[in-house]
Amino acid sequence: MASVATKQSEVDLVARAIAEPRRRQILTLVRERELSAGEIAANFEVSRPAVSQHLTVLREAGLLSERRRGTSRLYRARPEGLAGLRDFMDEFWTDRLERLRLAAELEQQRRDKGGKRRDG
Amino acid sequence: MANAETVDAVEVETRIAASPETVFDFFVDPDKMIQWMGRSVELDPRPGGGFRCDINDEAVASGSYVEVERPSRVVFTWGWNGEDSVTPPGSSTVEVLLAPDGDGTHLRLIHHDLPSAESAEKHGHGWRHYLDRLETAAIGGDPGTDKFG
Repeated sequence: MASVATKQSEVDLVARAIAEPRRRQILTLVRERELSAGEIAANFEVSRPAVSQHLTVLREAGLLSERRRGTSRLYRARPEGLAGLRDFMDEFWTDRLERLRLAAELEQQRRDKGGKRRDG
Repeated sequence: MANAETVDAVEVETRIAASPETVFDFFVDPDKMIQWMGRSVELDPRPGGGFRCDINDEAVASGSYVEVERPSRVVFTWGWNGEDSVTPPGSSTVEVLLAPDGDGTHLRLIHHDLPSAESAEKHGHGWRHYLDRLETAAIGGDPGTDKFG
């Protein structure tokens, strides 16, 4: 099912994005306030291109919003980007309940037949 | 940024052409549970009794029964085993409600207290671990033993 595959890859993107400690630090930095790429980079000792790369990964995972103001780009955390987790759990239970439904219906048929054959 | 939307619960509903009694047994009888979840399970279906559900090599869920009211309601805590799990056993709760619906059963499953975006931000590492397990669990299950897949 395409939708399941899509969801899995979305969850995978998010998981990979937050697996890197520096990216989690970036998310924390912009959780309450919007910052420019330069302001974010000033908090780290790594190169500006490296920070840009992290910002791209976070943005593509849906964990950062980006907007332009003049020549700079401003970033802010998007906690709703983590909603994929809930969707994933939803998928998990939906899938399990479909299996449960099939199993329970077979069991019911078995019980109904058994009841008639064995006279209760 | 904390808001109501980040306190997570999942709700799933289905209709099953079987009596509530029949459906209920699939939540408390290990031989029946493995037909839809887990490749081996240990269940002690009474309030306070534990359960352990071995989904596959990577993912083991466990918790304990909270309410066991055949045939209408079963509540159990739920979590994924693992040292850095954000949802350790007992941390979330699954509530299953079974109501007669004609010849069948209307089933509602509500998974309460899932980690919020807020807690996920604070526990990035554990959250990733949790996701990995979830991912494994959700695509997992041994296809060989899944007669209904």
